[in-house]
Amino acid sequence: MNLVIMAMILALLIPIYEAWKNDEVWQRMLAFASIATKTAIMALVISVLRDDWMIGIVAVIILSVGNAALMLLAHVIKRINDVSN
Amino acid sequence: MNENDLSVYVITALLPLTAFMLIFQVNPYHALVMRGILGAIAALVYAVLGAADVALTEALVGTMLAITLYAVAVRSSLVMRLGILKDLSTQGERQFEQLLDDLRIILGKRHMRLEVFPYTDMQSLDQALIEKEVHAVCSQRSQPQSDFEQDYAACENDKLCFHTAVRVQRLYEIMQAELTSPGNILTYVKPSGSKEEHS
Repeated sequence: MNLVIMAMILALLIPIYEAWKNDEVWQRMLAFASIATKTAIMALVISVLRDDWMIGIVAVIILSVGNAALMLLAHVIKRINDVSN
Repeated sequence: MNENDLSVYVITALLPLTAFMLIFQVNPYHALVMRGILGAIAALVYAVLGAADVALTEALVGTMLAITLYAVAVRSSLVMRLGILKDLSTQGERQFEQLLDDLRIILGKRHMRLEVFPYTDMQSLDQALIEKEVHAVCSQRSQPQSDFEQDYAACENDKLCFHTAVRVQRLYEIMQAELTSPGNILTYVKPSGSKEEHS
């Protein structure tokens, strides 16, 4: 079970590296979306492994709220590009 | 937690990693996205360490509310508002577009945006500068004032001559140093409305 978590951490490092290297803001937003979903899924897996439903509920809420935050931020950044052109 | 010890340490090590990525960002919008990433990792770390309530607060307030509010704040503060006359862009289209493009490049180096506000006549344009509705005004003066006769003589061959008045000192310094468009006269206007100096 430790191996599953370690594999997920390795998969999480890929978008982190991408967010660090890429200079375009939309590429970073993509990496952010990837990381937000991956961390929530990792918390879900850990909650199942530990049989801890409190962490599981929080992970589900983070999974849904993370998408909402991403949409809000993407909308504001899109408006910035619209106004400046 | 014994069998998961190593993975917990590795997950916790992600937090300072993303924090360093955040503080080395220069562009404020990129930094906001990195703050979102940091928030996601922090929520994971709190959840793994057993603080489910803290993780929920971090996700709701730290990630969602904070970056949205900061995005709105950065968007409305890192902007230069330029007032122009409505018919200016039709009269001297090419040269004026060139001037705006130069200005956008200079402001873009400092992660700022340029917003153009059209006004109908000269009076409302001057009034907007005095009442701090805009940071700078750009106009095409037909009758040269005595102060600027030399400057106008310099660009007499070129009929299109723009006069840009800036009321923010730092913006004036930046534009004076880097804005080298031909046929543009730059002046600094003190907030009270009295003209101080010109170049």
